[in-house]
Amino acid sequence: MRNDLKPNQPLSEAQRPDDFRSRKAIRRAWRRRGLAGLAFCCALALVGVVQAQIPPLTRADRGEAFVPDPSIIERITLGFDAVLSDYYWLVAIQAVGGSAAVDANAGGHVGQLIDVVTTLNPWVGHPYRFAAVWLTESEENVRTANRLLERGINHHPEEWRNRFYLGFNLFYYLMEYESAAEQIQAASGLPGAPAYLPRLVARLRSETAEIDVAEAFLIELVQGTDDPVLQEGYRAGLDEIEIERKARFLDEARKIYRDRRGQDIATVESLREGPNPVLVGLPSPEPDSLPVALSRQSRWLLDDEQDEIVSSFYGSRYRLHFDAVSRAKANGWAAARQEGTLHAEERGSL
Amino acid sequence: MIRMRHVWPIATNTVREAIRNKVLYALLFFAVGVIGVAVVIASLSYVEGQRIIQDIGLASIRLFSLGIAVFVGVGLIHGEVERRTIYTILSKPLSRSEFLVGKYLGLLMTVWLQLACMMIAFVAVSLATGAPLSGGHVAALGLLGMELVVIVALATFFSAFTSPLLASLFTLGIWGAGHLSRDLYALGQQSGNESFAGASTWMYRLLPDLEAFNVSVQAVHGLPIATSELTLPILYAVGYAVALLIAAGWIFQGRDLK
Amino acid sequence: MRENGDAVVEVLDLIKDYRPGFGLRRKRILHGVSFSVQRGEIYGFVGPNGAGKTTTLKALMGLIQASGGQARILGCDVSENDFREHIGFLPENPYFYGYLTAREILDFYARLSGLDGQRRCRRVPELLEWVGLGEASESRLRTFSKGMLQRVGIAQALVHDPEVVFLDEPMSGLDPIGRKEIRDVILRLKSEGKTVFMNTHILSDVETICDRVAIIVEGRIRYEGRIEDFLHEDDLMSDVVLSYLPPELGEILEAKFGARVRGVGGRIELRVREKQVSQLLRLGLEAGAEVVSVTPHRVSLEKIFLEAVSTSSSHLIRNESARKGERS
Ligand SMILES: Nc1ncnc2c1ncn2[C@@H]1O[C@H](COP(=O)(O)OP(=O)(O)O)[C@@H](O)[C@H]1O
Ligand SMILES: [Mg+2]
Repeated sequence: MRNDLKPNQPLSEAQRPDDFRSRKAIRRAWRRRGLAGLAFCCALALVGVVQAQIPPLTRADRGEAFVPDPSIIERITLGFDAVLSDYYWLVAIQAVGGSAAVDANAGGHVGQLIDVVTTLNPWVGHPYRFAAVWLTESEENVRTANRLLERGINHHPEEWRNRFYLGFNLFYYLMEYESAAEQIQAASGLPGAPAYLPRLVARLRSETAEIDVAEAFLIELVQGTDDPVLQEGYRAGLDEIEIERKARFLDEARKIYRDRRGQDIATVESLREGPNPVLVGLPSPEPDSLPVALSRQSRWLLDDEQDEIVSSFYGSRYRLHFDAVSRAKANGWAAARQEGTLHAEERGSL
Repeated sequence: MIRMRHVWPIATNTVREAIRNKVLYALLFFAVGVIGVAVVIASLSYVEGQRIIQDIGLASIRLFSLGIAVFVGVGLIHGEVERRTIYTILSKPLSRSEFLVGKYLGLLMTVWLQLACMMIAFVAVSLATGAPLSGGHVAALGLLGMELVVIVALATFFSAFTSPLLASLFTLGIWGAGHLSRDLYALGQQSGNESFAGASTWMYRLLPDLEAFNVSVQAVHGLPIATSELTLPILYAVGYAVALLIAAGWIFQGRDLK
Repeated sequence: MRENGDAVVEVLDLIKDYRPGFGLRRKRILHGVSFSVQRGEIYGFVGPNGAGKTTTLKALMGLIQASGGQARILGCDVSENDFREHIGFLPENPYFYGYLTAREILDFYARLSGLDGQRRCRRVPELLEWVGLGEASESRLRTFSKGMLQRVGIAQALVHDPEVVFLDEPMSGLDPIGRKEIRDVILRLKSEGKTVFMNTHILSDVETICDRVAIIVEGRIRYEGRIEDFLHEDDLMSDVVLSYLPPELGEILEAKFGARVRGVGGRIELRVREKQVSQLLRLGLEAGAEVVSVTPHRVSLEKIFLEAVSTSSSHLIRNESARKGERS
């Protein structure tokens, strides 16, 4: 400290002690700092770029989605059943994701997951119906869903919805009208069951079931739930019925075309072409409820193999077929299901 | 003979040690954090979120109290011998068994204290999310406390004669096996193999039947819990712990303290 | 053996084997140690490092189990517990719960020793003051130095006012002031009629305060007896330091008493037989010298100790019996 300096007076250039750093040194220090900052930014950029190269695949994306055997995992939960059940429940939700439909393979996967969920914690409620909604793509899927629903009925005997869904599956996919009617009747006696159930039973018993019944079922189902995901599932079913109705309308038109021209249509477009067209315009091959933004520019196609008119939106006709071929197939399903039930009873698993 | 006037100072001092241990606060903080995070996880499911919150809450309470019990328990006796703090203690007129029981009770009180803290967090989260609380929850957490009676006894037992690493392996191993013992028993019964059935029966009898303390599913779903589902496990836990402590006392009695 | 009138510690043929590691051969650490400690004496258990002093003491405290032989304290077998209300123990390099304060740990030991709340409130601060930890009574022990821990160790050993106190190397690792303070504590205990058993490998500790000693080497007692018994009358020497001694007198004294004289200038140190001290002092004082100090020098204890340590056992036993024969 130099006593002769007054405080707060800046030092003039001449007064500065020698050891004050020169401008050059200061500049060098700044340059060093700048370099360090640059290196830091480079490193960050590198991290960012490299990470972008690494695909953030989840295990499911890599096809490693492993679902444990419920009978085994049940034994090794070490008391954490409920949480593991929740975990697989969340996995199941993710597996369905935003997809509007679940294909047969994915359906099998979801079925296994819900099997684990409900084995670990059979007192869950919703997952049973979740399975029923999403496991529809193959007979196998539907059968799995029904097994799960039966488990749900065992653990929640007072819950009408599980029986209702089981009845729906029996009617809608397996065409077991009598069993379906039994389930719906049983459901109608349970607390909280809606008033329209007895009417459904009557229609099922009268064997007039058609896509009208299905539509009625679905409309009731949509109205009967607040769950947006479920509603979406039912609406998808209703959309399919809508397309099916249009396809049947086109079938009629096709018949008229054949009567009039003595030959079959070359393309679906033929129906409104040439002089005196059968139709003035074609109905939309996409569900009416589909937002314009999601349009896939679908068209009506003539499927040569099946010799039927299909919308490219679905690629095939509605699953609930009522022609002779499909009826035979459905009967096959039913027979297989019979076996499956016996099989299940033998195993005593449900 | 176990005299409370010798056991009590050891037990209270063990609690004091835990209260002054920062690691335990970190664990507790973490446990409470997980219970809070359950809210976020549950929002992944569009239905039954409250149930998932409680499932996760109860599971993390179970996991963390197990962790704390094992973490502290396995070094409980060994640490005293290793650091030779036990020399002066045993030169006072208390027996080794009294020392052991004191350490055990101290750790048990510590773990129960932590359990109480986590319970408060659980109740707070349940109230905040509107998840239902019932006597079933009290029963589930109470039985968890009884499971800890056994776990802490196991940790104390192993700590009386092995290193912390081995003791934690043994304790966790028996904890796992204790949750599987019923299945092992069932497997043995189904196998149709005489000797395997006999062996599995013995394993079932020997290992603690920890599944007896697990009623968390019933609690969350509001299912009825029978009185015997509460009283029998309590008796079972007390009996098992007493047996373990006596065995630990025998082993510890004969040990040379290095 | 001496009469066992009021022995508070009796050790008979104590054997301890250790297995150094799993599957290794047993190693005998104590080969039949026997001794006894009388009420009211300060007993020095002396031996080089690794001789088995701590092992003996741990066996006495019930921390290890003897492989053979007997040990009794206050007439009780050491495997019992209740007699420990009357004994205190300071282990070697004591260690305590670092999370407690000095006051808390003493309170803890006092509770274990069965002191009720009232007595604890009185005894704990008093003891802390006594061992010089009054200032540090509210500090956590993990901040304590070795010397302070040693004081805590002493305090916990005395907290219940025991009749017999066992100290393992009470003065090791202490500075000179600390050693002196511990020595004072031990002497005060003796004056209160307590019995003190002390392990040490430092001879000067023994010489200055012990009434009786046992020398242990390689797990065997080489010598046991009163300090005085070690020494022949002739062996008792004292170091006398005088100043202002006329030089010629030094030569006279050297010739007359056979004294060894060291030193230069104003101060000289003479080593003479104890019997001749007074005579020497008289001469010196008459000649105008000043007496700086007179220190008994127990040459033979050191001699015996070194002998015991360095020679083979057979030689020592012969030596010892020869010595006994000499005396009787
Ligand atoms: N736990 C033990 N295992 C094996 N050897 C031991 C053990 N404790 C002490 N020893 C051995 O016993 C001998 C005596 O040790 P100790 O009693 O501590 O000697 P000191 O007289 O220095 O106190 C030493 O040689 C030591 O190596
Ligand atoms: Mg020693």
